[in-house]
Amino acid sequence: MTTRRSFLTTLLAASAMPTLSWADAGNPRYLAAAREPDGGYALFGLNALGQDTFRVPLPARGHAAAGHPHKPLAVAFARRPGTYALVIDCADGHVLHQLTLPERRRFNGHGAFSAGGDVLYTSEIDAASGQGVIGVWDAMSGYRRTGEWSSQGIGPHEIARLPGSGDLVVANGGIRTAMDDERSKLNLDTMAPNLSYFSADGELLDQISLPPELHQNSIRHLALRSDGLVSFAMQTEDPDGWFTPLLGLHRRGAPLVLAAATEPQQMRMKGYAGSIAFSGNGAQVALTSPHGGVLSLFDAAGQFQGMMARTDVSGVGPAEGGFMTTDGLGGLCSIAGDALSPLNSAPRAWDNHLVTLPV
Amino acid sequence: MRHFPKLIAALTLLASPAAADLARAVDEHILPGYAAFAETTAALHDAAVESCAPDTLRADWNAAFDAWMRVSHLRFGPVEEAGRSVIIAFWPDAKGMTPKGLSRLIAAEDPIVNSPEGFKDVSVAARGLFALEYLLYDAQYDATAPYTCDLIRAVTADLADIAGAVSHEWQNGYADTLRTAGAPGNGTYLTENEGLQVLFTNLVAGLEFTANERLGRPLGTFDRPRPNRAEARRSERSLRNVDLSIKALKNLTDTLVDAPLPQSDAAFDRAIQTAAELDDPTFASVSDPSGRLKVEILQQKVKAAEVGVLAEVGPALGVAQGFNAGDGD
Repeated sequence: MTTRRSFLTTLLAASAMPTLSWADAGNPRYLAAAREPDGGYALFGLNALGQDTFRVPLPARGHAAAGHPHKPLAVAFARRPGTYALVIDCADGHVLHQLTLPERRRFNGHGAFSAGGDVLYTSEIDAASGQGVIGVWDAMSGYRRTGEWSSQGIGPHEIARLPGSGDLVVANGGIRTAMDDERSKLNLDTMAPNLSYFSADGELLDQISLPPELHQNSIRHLALRSDGLVSFAMQTEDPDGWFTPLLGLHRRGAPLVLAAATEPQQMRMKGYAGSIAFSGNGAQVALTSPHGGVLSLFDAAGQFQGMMARTDVSGVGPAEGGFMTTDGLGGLCSIAGDALSPLNSAPRAWDNHLVTLPV
Repeated sequence: MRHFPKLIAALTLLASPAAADLARAVDEHILPGYAAFAETTAALHDAAVESCAPDTLRADWNAAFDAWMRVSHLRFGPVEEAGRSVIIAFWPDAKGMTPKGLSRLIAAEDPIVNSPEGFKDVSVAARGLFALEYLLYDAQYDATAPYTCDLIRAVTADLADIAGAVSHEWQNGYADTLRTAGAPGNGTYLTENEGLQVLFTNLVAGLEFTANERLGRPLGTFDRPRPNRAEARRSERSLRNVDLSIKALKNLTDTLVDAPLPQSDAAFDRAIQTAAELDDPTFASVSDPSGRLKVEILQQKVKAAEVGVLAEVGPALGVAQGFNAGDGD
């Protein structure tokens, strides 16, 4: 029921809303961070042809970004463990806000907006205890820190919102990193990654663990399909995990599916999947393995379909007819059917991820 | 071309990739390397068809392994199709999958060995050079037993088939793909730099593999050396493989770079010299402090070669290591 009070609030919010949309930022389909030839870093908007739509300089190496659901805004995150997150106006490249982390917190490179775009959630660690934290920020009042909750695991990495829902899913990678260099791994013998589902206010709804023999598989990156199917990419810390599955598929209430390629093909992934995406039509999942220079294709039930080679391929996102990829050589490639073909080549090294915008 | 003064060399380095010779690396390193591997594996299979007696077959197997060591660092293109490189050389095998896979086939007398096509479905661990090493050198196998001999022939046929296909595909297509890196229509290498990059990355990764795996695995830790983890120790090829890999990587460097590389050259030479002076074919001495020190020194020399390559070859080619390939996230 619309009360007078809530109607007024709606009206106020509407009149205060900027009129700009993603069209004003050149209608980018994707965001990607890169290292430029001069050694500096920047965030780029990219269209479906792999052409730049905007460029915003970054203060240090970037990682992923979170695109606002409808405003032409993106929050760019520093590489893990990071101290900066910048809210960028993608229409004109201005930095609108800088998120100020509470003491002892570090960004882990990823974040997600709520459905309406009024709340931002960020994956973080407590720099003293190593425990995982989800930071909550009010996007309507200058990205003020309004709270935080436990990620229910160590080393939360990617966080995503379930489509058509306010619920969130978090990949707790399970690896505790050292405080001195903050990237050395301390608990490989005991690590216990999980996939945790939360309500919008941080209530743990569900938690999925891996079979004990795969406890060294760090769950790190997520791709979600519009029907709520969650796919996740893993990186194994088992030095002899030649054939270890690196793809997981999960839907709440259903059993976990773990998927691997054929033995010799699985080995080409070198135990490492860097990014993951569903295809444009949702029928396929792609995993990138930059260490092995390959991209692996599976169907949405986890059946291995094929593998293609592209040096340093890492970023991947959905595209019409399949996928788009980015790589450290500056290449942007299109994948359709079983063919990889170049779209464009940019004079920069694309970083780990190709972020798909929610538009 | 390695004798012009340092100053000119330094200036040359600024203009990338004038010092690179991609075509020469293809013609003098890659193509002859794969051709020799195809020839030696075909000869190995012919010999196995003739007789499975280890005394005669071991020489052919060693020749094929020697040939593999000249190209084992090349991990791109046809040799990676369908994971061929892993089938050729399944190592390290810390979980003992190779003997398990072979013993399973032998115990069941699995008729899959009679079908070349069917054999392609056998676990990678029970195929390739290391499967043959077990069958020809390990006391638990009798190579001349009828089924085991059939298995040896199936493995050699599979290996020769893969080696032949790799060489054929390089000669009929992939060599041109690499030579024409950056040319219009080249969908694999979008720029010339990408072609150089892949060879540079393989060069560095090859040195790291020899230092960290071929030498690092048996070294283990001071408190827990692991001599049983040495590569190809049953055939006493462990040191030979290290030696051949360093020489192969030096050859790749020599053919690829047309500029003076004083630091790399000296480091390669010292590593080769150190390997030649080491009198321990299987690194069995890592359990003994003085023997261990010698193996550690060899490992340091290989790492020094990598430092030299990173300092000189990368800049000479105008490339760096992959941005994401050497990175974890």
